Parts: sequence; C-alpha cells; structure tokens
Amino acid sequence: MIHKTSPEIGGMGHSIKRKEDLRFIQGKGNYVDDVNLPGMVYGQLVRSPYAHARLKSVNTEKAKKLPGVLAVIAGEDLAKANLAWMPTLSYDKQMVLATGKVLFQSQEVAFVVAEDRYTAADAAELVEVEYEELPVLVDPHKALDPGAPLLREDREQKNNHIFHWEVGDRQATEQVFQKAPVKASVHAFFPRCHPAPLETCGCVADFNRATGRLTVYMTSQAPHAHRTVFALVGGIPENNIRVISPDIGGGFGNKVPVYPGYVCAIVASLTLGVPVKWIETRSENLQSTGFARDYHMTAEIAADRDGKMQALRVKTLADHGAFNAAAQPTKFPAGLFSICTGSYDYPTAFCEVDGVYTNKAPGGIAYRCSFRVTEAAYLIERAVDVLALDLKMDPAELRRKNFIPASKFPYKSSLGWTYDSGNYEAAMKVALDKIGYEQLRKEQEEKRKKGELMGIGISSFTEIVGAGPAHTFDILGIKMFDSCEIRIHPTGKAIARMGTKSQGQGHETTYAQIVAQELGIPAADVTIEEGDTDTAPYGLGTYASRSTPTSGAATAIAARKIRDKAKKIAAYLLECNEADLEWEPGKFYVKGTPSKSKTIQEIAFAAYTNIPPGLEAGLEAVDYYDPPNLTFPFGTYVCVVDIDKGTGEVKVRRFVAVDDCGNIINPMIVEGQIHGGLTEGLAIAFMQQIDYDESGNIQGGSFQDYLLPTAVETPHWETDKTCTPSPHHPFGAKGVGESPNVGSPAAFVNAVVDALSHLGVKHIDMPITPWKVWKVLQEKGVTA
Amino acid sequence: MALKVEKTFEVPEPIDKVWEVLSDPRKVATCVPGAQITEQVDEKTYKGAIKVKVGPSITDYTGEVHIVRLDAENHEIEILGKGQDVRGRGSASMKMTGKLRALPNGGTEVTSVSEINVVGILAQMGSRVITEVSNIMFGEFTKNFQARLREPSGDPVEHAAGAQVTPIKASSVAWQATKGLLRRKS
Repeated sequence: MIHKTSPEIGGMGHSIKRKEDLRFIQGKGNYVDDVNLPGMVYGQLVRSPYAHARLKSVNTEKAKKLPGVLAVIAGEDLAKANLAWMPTLSYDKQMVLATGKVLFQSQEVAFVVAEDRYTAADAAELVEVEYEELPVLVDPHKALDPGAPLLREDREQKNNHIFHWEVGDRQATEQVFQKAPVKASVHAFFPRCHPAPLETCGCVADFNRATGRLTVYMTSQAPHAHRTVFALVGGIPENNIRVISPDIGGGFGNKVPVYPGYVCAIVASLTLGVPVKWIETRSENLQSTGFARDYHMTAEIAADRDGKMQALRVKTLADHGAFNAAAQPTKFPAGLFSICTGSYDYPTAFCEVDGVYTNKAPGGIAYRCSFRVTEAAYLIERAVDVLALDLKMDPAELRRKNFIPASKFPYKSSLGWTYDSGNYEAAMKVALDKIGYEQLRKEQEEKRKKGELMGIGISSFTEIVGAGPAHTFDILGIKMFDSCEIRIHPTGKAIARMGTKSQGQGHETTYAQIVAQELGIPAADVTIEEGDTDTAPYGLGTYASRSTPTSGAATAIAARKIRDKAKKIAAYLLECNEADLEWEPGKFYVKGTPSKSKTIQEIAFAAYTNIPPGLEAGLEAVDYYDPPNLTFPFGTYVCVVDIDKGTGEVKVRRFVAVDDCGNIINPMIVEGQIHGGLTEGLAIAFMQQIDYDESGNIQGGSFQDYLLPTAVETPHWETDKTCTPSPHHPFGAKGVGESPNVGSPAAFVNAVVDALSHLGVKHIDMPITPWKVWKVLQEKGVTA
Repeated sequence: MALKVEKTFEVPEPIDKVWEVLSDPRKVATCVPGAQITEQVDEKTYKGAIKVKVGPSITDYTGEVHIVRLDAENHEIEILGKGQDVRGRGSASMKMTGKLRALPNGGTEVTSVSEINVVGILAQMGSRVITEVSNIMFGEFTKNFQARLREPSGDPVEHAAGAQVTPIKASSVAWQATKGLLRRKS
C-alpha cells in the first residue's frame, strides 16, 4: 500500500489537476511550428505519385529559378554526401530522398528550400521528375510468389522476404493439436492504421556556422536517441548537437522514427547556414510517416471438450511496406508479439511471423502499444471468443476457466515471458458485475426472439510494457534504461529532469507527484523539465507505456538518494544519530519525540548554508534505472452493442473498462488516458484504415477518408479498477497509457460478432463499417 | 485505381455521319472536356493533353492516343490513351471501345466501354469521387458529341486549335460529385 500524503503535498493517489493544462488551455503551449528564428527559411518535400517506379530523371532547374528559392536537394545530391539512405530502428535502411527508384506513393523525392512556405510549395510543383512505372506489389500474400516484382534491389537477398521469426515449441504444439478433441481457429487481419496525432511531424534545424552547433527543434518522442542517431549518421560530434522537443501535440509512436524531412531540413541548414523549418501537412503525415499494425494473423487453439485450453498456434504475415522501419527496440523482429498467449495458462504454444516488403509506406510503429502487443491481444481475445462459440460456452466462463490463476504469479508463459503479477478473475468480476452481465445475457435472449441484434463483447487482455530490461531491448545498441535528475533548491523547491518526453501524458504533474510522495515537497513546488538534450539526463524517450516503469522508477530512486543525504543533514541539525530518525512525508523527526524534527525545506536550506562536516554541499541526485523485468498491466473490458438491421450501423450502448495498472500516481490522469485510448480503439475498430488500391494508391490519405472520432461518435466510457502492484517496480506501478488501445478493439469486435453469432458469423475484420455489417446482414437474409 | 465505365446513348444522325466523327481522334478530342490533340505522330498515333481539375487538385496529363483497332465495317473503334501529369502528380490510361449501331428510326446508338486506370494524387480521392468525375466527364462528352454532330464538318484540327481548352471546372465537378454521392445515399 502507498502511504497517502496530504492534499497540500499531493503525492501519489491524488487527482491533482494537470500543471501543463494551464498553458495548453490558454493557447500558450510552444509547439515546433511556434518556433520562429531570425532568418528562418522553409522546406517542402516533393513526393512520388507512384507506388513503384524507376526514377529516370529529376530536373530541378525550373524550381531553382523561381524567385525566393534557395536550394533544391535531390537524392543524387544526398548520395554524394553518403546521406541518400539512413538506418532504421529495425536494422534495415530506408531512403532519405529517392535514388534509382521509388517504392511507395508519397515517397520523398526532393526537398525544396525557399524564403517562405508558399514559394517552397510552388517550387515543389516545378520540380520535374520523370518516372517509368513498374509493376506494383500491394498484397503481402503475393510478396513471396516467384513472379512477384522485386522491390528492394539494394539488398543482397533477391526476394521480398524480410524475416522469419519463431518462438515456442513447434513440435510439442503440433503433438497437442494432433490429439486435441477441439480445435478453434480464426484468421484475423489487423488493418493498417495510423496514430494521426493532431500535431503532424516537423522540425526547425538551426546550424550555426560560427559555433559549429546544430540545434534541432523537433517533434521527437525520443530526443536523446535522435541526437545519437544524427551524430552517428551525420558525423557531427554529439556535443555539437542539441535536440529540443518542445510541447508535442500527441505522438502515439508516430514521433519515434527519424523521418526524411528531419534529415533534409538538417542538410539544408548545414548547407545554407540558416534555420530551416519543415512541417508536414496532414496528408503527408498520414501517407508517409509510421503506420501501425498491418498484421495478417491466424490463431488456432487446441482444447478439450470442457474448454480447457491445451495449446496455442499462431502464424502471422507482417506487411512492413517498402522499408522495415518498425520503430521497435526489442531483440525480436516481431517485438513483443509473443505475449499472444494473453491471460491464459497454455501448457504449450508456438508462434511464427514472416515479414515482407510491399509498395506501401514504411513503418510498423507501436501505435500506443508495446511493439505488437495490440495485435497479440486482439488475436488471442478474438480466438478465445471463437472457441467459446465452437464449444457453445459462455465467453466469460471460458475465460475464467483458463485464466492464469492469481496464485501462479510470477508466471512463466510458454512463450518465455515472466509475468510479474496479476489477478485476472478479480478484474473480470468487477467488470461483469458493473455492467450487469447476467441480466444482459437474458436481455439478449429476449431480443433475439424478437429478431433484434444485440451483442456483448469481452476482452480480458494482458499487457507487456515498460521497455525495457537490457536483456530484451536496445536501440542501436543503447540499453533501454531511463533516467531522472533531481535538484533541490536552497528554498526547498525542486526541479527534476528526465530522459523521457511527454506528448500529452501529463508528466509535468505525475513526476512531480512522485517527488512529492518520496520527499514530501509539495508537487506544486516541483518543476518537471523534459525534452532538451543539453539539460536532461540521457534517456530513450516516451512510448510503449514506459515512462512510469522506467523514468518514474528512476524518479523515486533519485528521490530516495536525496532522502538518504537529507537524513544525514537532519541528524547533524538535530544532533542525533541517523538511526534515531524517523521519516514521514516532508520531515525527519527523532523517534519518540515528534516535536524534534526538521522539514525537507529546512534540510534543503542547510544543504547549502550549514553543511555537515565531510558532506558535499547541495542536494541533488541522478538515477538511471534499468528495469529488472517488464510490467504486465491487465484488465477486462466489456462492451454492449446494438445493431441497426436496416443500415448495419453499430451503436455502442455501454462500455465498461476495468484496468489494473498497479499503484496509481494520479487517478484522474489514468482515467483520462483510458478515455483517450478507448476512443482511439473505437476508431480503429469501426472507422479507420490506411488502405491501398491495386496500383498502390493510398485510400485513406486524408481526413476525408481516414476518420477521427469526435464527441458525436464517442460513447460514454465507464471506468473502474483493481490494484495488483508490480512486485519489482519501486512503487508498484505498471504503466497504463496503452492498455485501452490494446484491450479495446477485441471488446468491440467481440460484441459485434456476438450480436451476429446466431446467424453463423464467427469473425468480421476491422474496421467494422456500417457497409460491412450491412453486407453480412444481406448475406444472412436479415432485413429491417 | 481501375474502373470501368459503360455508356450508351442515342443520336438522331445516321450511322455514317456519326462514324466520321467517332473514327477520328482529333474530332473526338474536341468533345472531351479539357482535352486537345496537339500533334499527329503517324496514321494511328496522336499526341494530346487533358486537364482535369478536381477540387484544389489540377492534373495536367500529356501523352499519346493510339488507335488500336479501327473496324469501319462494323463501326467499331478501340483507342488506347496514356498520359502523365506534367508536374509529377501521376498518370492515367484509358482503353476505350466505341461501337455504333444503326437504329430503325434512322438514328444511331453509341456504346462505349472504357477501362480507366488512374495512378497518383487524383486516385487518392477514391473511387467514390473518381467514378463521379468520370460520369460528369462522360455526360459533358455526350453533350459535346451531339453538338459536334450537328455542326457542319470542317477541319477538325483547326477547330480544336480555335477552341479555348477549358478544364472542367473545379467547383462544378466537386459540386456535381457531391450531389452524385448524396443522390446515391438517399
């Protein structure tokens, strides 16, 4: 249990209002596009209209002649500086500007720099590019066909195969399947979707010729990692690079990769010696930056007739687009997809994934997700429902029967993970009770008699977050610890800096609450600063719900280091032994004599004015935290839908989300995270897809076709929680940001399929649009 | 993006008169909104251009039109057109088969089957918009074609050069397409 501090201190468990919102709601935030430097010029990318074409010539003469144009950079120009290609986070490489050929529609071909944005946009249209169209590969299932066009001529391997990866015991799993009395299977495609953060990507690159320093203001979820990449790729000494991530309007994984636009702006600034701003349009963001998912998955469950699961077999085809630019730092090409056994106690399992290239935008980023855990959670929760259908069992009952029992934690899964803690049945009970599950099933039975369509969907997901332990993760060799540095000022106020970077998560509030919890300094007196590589300690950034498990842990430990020193000072001031002191939030007092005490503020002052002999001045500490294990948040979501037989429209009547993310720092922020993630999950389940036609034209490249949910589409979310602390985290927290996005798609889809299951429907792929449901209803002969 | 457009309409003129226009790409081009023939390469090949404006997106295709098959006896023509946008917005190709049938009333039935493939920015608008755009273009074409038949025959090239090439209007196409979508929904 976490000792709750007073509201004045505002430590963990207090729903204090977000400090950052004061500036956000007043329009006083400072985003990349708000950065305006003297002499700044603007860049615009020229992009390919073709998904696959030979680049015959790039003629920049006309563009260069337009008044106001300062430079036009093409792929061949970058090639001379050995910068036409850059490494990706998945040990592949990708083109910065195309040379030789283009591999996806909207690929970057040239970069125009002009005195203002309008001139840059006009000049981009004057760049004459001659293409020769090549056969296009859109369907990943055809990528390995002998006659498939070869996409990546740069590779030694002359086919479109990126990787084959397998985990688990193939043979043992086969044996179980051969004998199993019940086998359920589902083919589930998790469509290509896009995080679509409200702020698109962009940067201002400012190279100062006098000092030799390069400052890059950029939309970066991982500023330190990006600084190191720029140093390694660009050959600029790392001390001469400063990356500043100002306020960020949403990231969701989209702002983890390094994009060609950043590199072009940097090259242009190095060349011209002036600051260069590059900001994406909405369509550029949707069409060329990191997409998510695009997994074609098959899951099979072997079970006995009572529904006891015996084995799981998963086979997946991963569409990575033109380059394997999956922003995932695990040692496994499919990330943490092997969490696909989910919340269930499988004696044996086997999982294999093949990655292929297609003529689509590169990516495979972890959209509010720990590297394929969303795909995994969706697949297993769908498969369990299919098994329930096959067995004619209640899906809640089937889950209860197969949950990893609370007594088995820490639990070693058959695919190799050690789950830290869990109590799945407890979370499901809270959810089912809250929604009135039994009553709903009765209602459903009544409705079916009347021909009405109503469904109840359950998703009991298990997450794997907090990247991550050095044994499982690294980015270009850099381990995935994260950091915190705390400085207590003489007046007892504090500033703390982290290697993570908030994009809306509320770090300025929650980290301050951790300091408040550990040191008793009111959260209001603690300033949190992130995103400036010159001032913050090194860290790997914010994504994959890693901030609380890593930097949050580092913050607690750094604060404890400070408390240890404060104790020495307090003993000196109180003229007693350290062993005689007791701590309560905000002060040390002499055991048995509470009146003899020194507050943390008094101690801080003494640290600068009345230093004990033999002790250094100051009150500061830094900690780099390498988590011993990942954390495994979980929960049960229950969704109730009603379907309009005439239009195929699905209406989410109720949605109950019960989350267990261990000990909570700020309940209000957790609830906000869950609301946001559920809304994104709703959009993925019902509205969104980045699709391609047979020529590789993007369908879904603007908000005309890629739909964002508004308040109109969004149902009322009902949240609740259970609390199973992580045993290895310094204050028992697990991380929560991605849980609702990971857990909810299956709940929505399961509810829709449940509403139609009596018609023989076992699965419908997302996005479940009214048109798709209407077609199913037509096929099944259902009319209004 | 590939789509197939099939159109049939009737004109009061006799089949031979209609064939005289349909079998000459230079004459046909004058009926296609935004299109013109700029040069004859050989007996069966012409260079031309077509401007299509949808909303804010103007696509300026230049390319070739080639007569694949000309069957005067059966009044059938097959044309292959291919073009690339001059500013790199993409390409389009069209295979059109035109066929005439004499009607008992002395008029002629014109049937055309077109397979259109659009690649690039325009294709991102999706089939909903592109199909509507082609519907509008074919509607315009039909009107122009009928008007053309009523005119005394002259030198088609001069005719094309004399006529101001106007792209189909952005606002009108966008509006018509929207109306088309709405109409279908209701």
